[in-house]
Amino acid sequence: MDAEGAREWEAEFEAAARRPLKTRLRYAFIHTYKPVLDDAAYRSFDSLAEYRAWCAAELPEWLGYGPAV
Amino acid sequence: MAPRFEYAQAEEVRDAFARHGVRYLFIGKSGAILLGYPDTTQDADLFVEKTEANGAAAVRALRELRFELTESQAEEIGRGKDFVQLKSGPFDLDLVFAPDGIESFAEAWRRHLEVEGFPVCHPDDIIRSKEAANRVKDRESLPRLRAFRDYWLRNR
Repeated sequence: MDAEGAREWEAEFEAAARRPLKTRLRYAFIHTYKPVLDDAAYRSFDSLAEYRAWCAAELPEWLGYGPAV
Repeated sequence: MAPRFEYAQAEEVRDAFARHGVRYLFIGKSGAILLGYPDTTQDADLFVEKTEANGAAAVRALRELRFELTESQAEEIGRGKDFVQLKSGPFDLDLVFAPDGIESFAEAWRRHLEVEGFPVCHPDDIIRSKEAANRVKDRESLPRLRAFRDYWLRNR
């Protein structure tokens, strides 16, 4: 992160701090269809390791749920 | 697809969970957003204390919020499966009973913050859980999240 980038983030944090929570939430939550992940109404896993393994095996890589290498 | 999560839904969760005495914390990016972090996310993540009584209370609260749960699903939530993904209600919710990188609910509760009545994990815990999860999307978001944590600590 260069100094200009850090200043931009700082300005964004300051602008967000001036907005009421209700406004922040209105713009924060988005909903786009995520293949596979959104195709079941309920899923459960005995451990997060099991969930991570499922994500790595089943979800398209571009969703970003796979392990960072 | 469920409607997106908004302030009204966050209030519904807060109020229903309070009525049923559920011990939980907002975690993940949704928690950071409650603290002021400017970013986007697709669902709300709740860190729920893993006890039998708390799991049962969570089930009652979720049903009151109009989540459709079968008996076997309710039983799984009641006994605290480590990760439950709910897309059967008015909005999407992820329940995490044992997040990566956080030793216990009690420790996270000791450090937690309240924002307009919403119980939220400390930014350090949100960061720790993302570091431990180590997914591609977490790695990408961590530098900005750490910068926010530093800003938040300077200005709280």
